[in-house]
Amino acid sequence: MKVLVPVKRVIDYNVKVRVKADGSGVDLANVKMSMNPFDEIAVEEAIRMKEAGKVDEIVVVSIGIEKSQETLRTALAMGADRAILVNAADDVHTDIEPLAVAKLLKAVIAEENPGLVLCGKQAIDNDMNATGQMLSALLGWSQATFASEINVDGDSATVTREVDGGLQTIKVKMPAIVTVDLRLNEPRYASLPNIMKAKKKPLDTKTAADLGVDVAPRLSVVKTTEPAERAAGVKVADVAELVAKLKDEAGVI
Amino acid sequence: MAEDIFGQLLDEFGAGVVEHAAQSYLEEPRGTYQSAPMPLIRPHDTQGVSDVVAFCHRHNIAIIPYGGGTGLVGGQTKPDGNAVILSIERLNKIRDIFPTENVIVVEAGMFLADVQAAADSNNRLFPLSLASEGSCRIGGNLATNAGGTQVLRYGNARDLCLGIEAVLPDGTIHHGLRRLRKDNTGYDLRNLLIGSEGSLGIITAAALKLFPKPQETTTALLAVSNVDAAVQLLGMVQDQTGGLVSGFELMHRNGFEFLTETMPTLRQAFDTPPEWSVLLEVSGGADFNLDERVMNVLETAMETELVLDALLAQSQSQRDEFWNLRETIPEANRLIGAISSHDISVPISRIPEFIANTPALLAQFGDIRINCFGHLGDGNLHYNVYPPKGGQKKDFTHLRDDIQRTVHDQVQKFDGSMSAEHGIGRLKVADLETYGDPAKLAAMRAIKFALDPKGIMNPGAVLRND
Ligand SMILES: Cc1cc2nc3c(=O)[nH]c(=O)nc-3n(C[C@H](O)[C@H](O)[C@H](O)COP(=O)(O)OP(=O)(O)OC[C@H]3O[C@@H](n4cnc5c(N)ncnc54)[C@H](O)[C@@H]3O)c2cc1C
Ligand SMILES: Cc1cc2nc3c(=O)[nH]c(=O)nc-3n(C[C@H](O)[C@H](O)[C@H](O)COP(=O)(O)OP(=O)(O)OC[C@H]3O[C@@H](n4cnc5c(N)ncnc54)[C@H](O)[C@@H]3O)c2cc1C
Repeated sequence: MKVLVPVKRVIDYNVKVRVKADGSGVDLANVKMSMNPFDEIAVEEAIRMKEAGKVDEIVVVSIGIEKSQETLRTALAMGADRAILVNAADDVHTDIEPLAVAKLLKAVIAEENPGLVLCGKQAIDNDMNATGQMLSALLGWSQATFASEINVDGDSATVTREVDGGLQTIKVKMPAIVTVDLRLNEPRYASLPNIMKAKKKPLDTKTAADLGVDVAPRLSVVKTTEPAERAAGVKVADVAELVAKLKDEAGVI
Repeated sequence: MAEDIFGQLLDEFGAGVVEHAAQSYLEEPRGTYQSAPMPLIRPHDTQGVSDVVAFCHRHNIAIIPYGGGTGLVGGQTKPDGNAVILSIERLNKIRDIFPTENVIVVEAGMFLADVQAAADSNNRLFPLSLASEGSCRIGGNLATNAGGTQVLRYGNARDLCLGIEAVLPDGTIHHGLRRLRKDNTGYDLRNLLIGSEGSLGIITAAALKLFPKPQETTTALLAVSNVDAAVQLLGMVQDQTGGLVSGFELMHRNGFEFLTETMPTLRQAFDTPPEWSVLLEVSGGADFNLDERVMNVLETAMETELVLDALLAQSQSQRDEFWNLRETIPEANRLIGAISSHDISVPISRIPEFIANTPALLAQFGDIRINCFGHLGDGNLHYNVYPPKGGQKKDFTHLRDDIQRTVHDQVQKFDGSMSAEHGIGRLKVADLETYGDPAKLAAMRAIKFALDPKGIMNPGAVLRND
């Protein structure tokens, strides 16, 4: 089986995000970018499936600016076999919305014919939580979201999902779109020998136009604001003071 | 400390400033020293510090200057309780910031992490970086001339300080808060106060150097074939990057095993920890292509088997994970419980020989474990000795002095220092007398007497007070 893993280049999740002065969005100039952490988990899962003999090829796809190549190289260094870059923007600040991404992925899937698509459950930049679901609708494939365990068995897959208040296990028909959650696995680190090998792995570049998809935005950002500043904490001297504060000031006990 | 002195202080400065010190002020991180109960005085500003010091000077009351309490040599404690604790924690404001000059002027009670954050929000770097940065304060960092992980590139606390405001032992305020890079006007009081560990005065504010924030950082965790390979690699990376190495931390397998033993859920980087590993960090401006440069060096180093395996951080998060491993080792050490810890430095090129020869000298003490790790790029090692797995520190404490003397004698033979970055405090007063240069010791005593004739500033720290 071939697995397709879409990987998005996003602002690193440990970087302090700064809103642009005009409120039009987040400042991404000279900011550390890396692979969406949920996509790292998806890549890792695909590699583990390959190591278990259930998958024979892993193709990673990234949609974005030229530099998304770096993200693809990381996925290749982790162990993916082949990469496709869909060059769909010139400026890192240009947002490609989930519907456009899903349409592009649909076009890639038509060429690649994977048996499974493993997406991140969300991209940590825009928090849309939409791409996987839209792709499933466009393709008419099964979907299983927020996966914390995946078992592919022939023409179906059993997926454990993290839902509010617990876990839900569902069985879906293959081919399927599975979006992965945080607790599925711990992605491996990239080693130098594997980074070197990754440089020689194939990376094809296409454009959104090649795939016949219009990526013009349909949403308009009205405003972007920083979250309210958290008030500074206080140090309490002992348990008695803590209890008193919780009671009298916070009113929570 | 007699109750009447507490009463006197209370009358003079009021309950908002004077109180009985809570237990946390009487302890230190290693648990070696415990202060007897003492008054805690927390003035609000420099004038307040000056008033308290002048009062103590008049009444012959000893003062323990207190920052964040993270010092590792007991300088912030007074076991006999014959003193007052003077904490600078309320002097915690940024006085000024001059991004174009690369200078920030801060009060001594600011947490180191808050100074780093203030620099960062002005698109600057304040490079002093220690595992204790969330709790130690700038005054304490300067008083101990703290080092940490970026000394190799940016220097220690002393190198980062342009000017100082301090209260001298008689209560006078030294107004030395200049922000000049060049100022050759007589004896350098700033450099005397830096590293004096509270024995010459109380630092109340400082002008500190800032740097451009690195735009590109490459971080790698390496398995190296031995310590000599690590030293060679440092030279290779420095040459290839024009000296842009900002971190070069050596770690022994025992450190990782201590992590496994004490924090089994912490994620480790290598499946089987190598005997020696290095955390390498290189940083520079935008488009320096540091990843490529570092990978080129590492490729060569792997071909020649200096490096056996190399993991490269692919994100800030992975970089933090690598550093977290390094920075959690001291906590694992604490949980295991060292018989004796040594904060030493040795000329870098002699480190491989030092590490190769010292275990044989310690073999006489039986089945012990050595965890040697630290800032290899600065020649600074933490050479700590532990009981065997399953053993108890208390069964070995009788060996502590002998172990320490063995290590320190060896350091002396290698032209090293028995206190690289943590200072003398109370812990190493005798060592300083043994290993220190006699002319320097005589000059130190003369300086101490000249500035603090009554001996009220942190008596018994750095120099013996009888
Ligand atoms: C009550 C609540 C609780 C929450 N709790 C948590 C929590 O505990 N932890 C947490 O992390 N979040 C949490 N969130 C955040 C929440 O999950 C997000 O709001 C949402 O799920 C994310 O949408 P998205 O932008 O990722 O989706 P999408 O943008 O649709 O991305 C999904 C996936 O599609 C693929 N993809 C998207 N764009 C590209 C591209 N350009 N190239 C290649 N592939 C691409 C990737 O595989 C990506 O991961 C919580 C939110 C709420 C409201
Ligand atoms: C987990 C951990 C990791 C550490 N890592 C490092 C490291 O990598 N490198 C390193 O160098 N150190 C390290 N240290 C040691 C410690 O953090 C430093 O010595 C720090 O600089 C002390 O600052 P502090 O504010 O806590 O000072 P304190 O502990 O309060 O005081 C230390 C000494 O300075 C004096 N003093 C404090 N404030 C003043 C002042 N305003 N004026 C005059 N004298 C004063 C005290 O009297 C005392 O002698 C570490 C400590 C811990 C607990």
